[in-house]
Amino acid sequence: MQTKIKEYRAKLNLTQDQLANLVGVRRETIVFLEQGKYNPSLKLAHDVAVALKTSIDDLFIY
Amino acid sequence: MTLKKYQKIKLAIVVAISIIFSQSIIFKNYLIPIATLVISSLILMALRRQIKEVIADERDYALAGKSATWAIQIYSWISVVAMFVLYALRDLNPSYEPIAMTLAFSTCLLILIYSLFFNFQNKIKFTQNKNKFIVFAIILAIFLSIFTIRLFSGEDNWVCQSGQWIEHGHPSFPAPSIPCK
Repeated sequence: MQTKIKEYRAKLNLTQDQLANLVGVRRETIVFLEQGKYNPSLKLAHDVAVALKTSIDDLFIY
Repeated sequence: MTLKKYQKIKLAIVVAISIIFSQSIIFKNYLIPIATLVISSLILMALRRQIKEVIADERDYALAGKSATWAIQIYSWISVVAMFVLYALRDLNPSYEPIAMTLAFSTCLLILIYSLFFNFQNKIKFTQNKNKFIVFAIILAIFLSIFTIRLFSGEDNWVCQSGQWIEHGHPSFPAPSIPCK
């Protein structure tokens, strides 16, 4: 699994900590999400997509 | 309060509890450990409420589930093998038998509790069919209560009377080797 979280996060000038606070998870979860090492729940994927003002399809590449 | 600070305090409390427990066992005082546990739990609960950060998220819960399954499997295998070895060697030392029995029953209890919670999470939480679960839980509680009462009732045991070990019921193990005072 690949993600564009880092790219979208950079566009919005958000740090990993800030994004983690926005979606209510720990910073480590965002780190693993960006590295494609963690398969998120539908809710988390949705929350991250909303926080980054994009869609799940754009953010996650399976 | 930050999560790191909370974790440091938690570690310090665990160290303090360990020291208090070991000292209490040496001095044969069993009220201090209980009081320490209650007080430290209340302190940790109060501190936890002050943390603004996320303490655990879905990744932690997923990892916790996997870790718990592995821990249960490893413990079960080790205790079952140890139980068979100890039970086979019970003629060498009679005290091996109760240890083997404790290991066997603790493994059964662990798997039983795991199954109970798994079923609760798997079916009851999604189907709202709580009646079956409640009936099952009551039956299990009755069964465990009877077993516990029977285990700690002092039946089939050795009783110390007038400086001698006297059979109470039909104990399957020999009289204790420690002097009866």
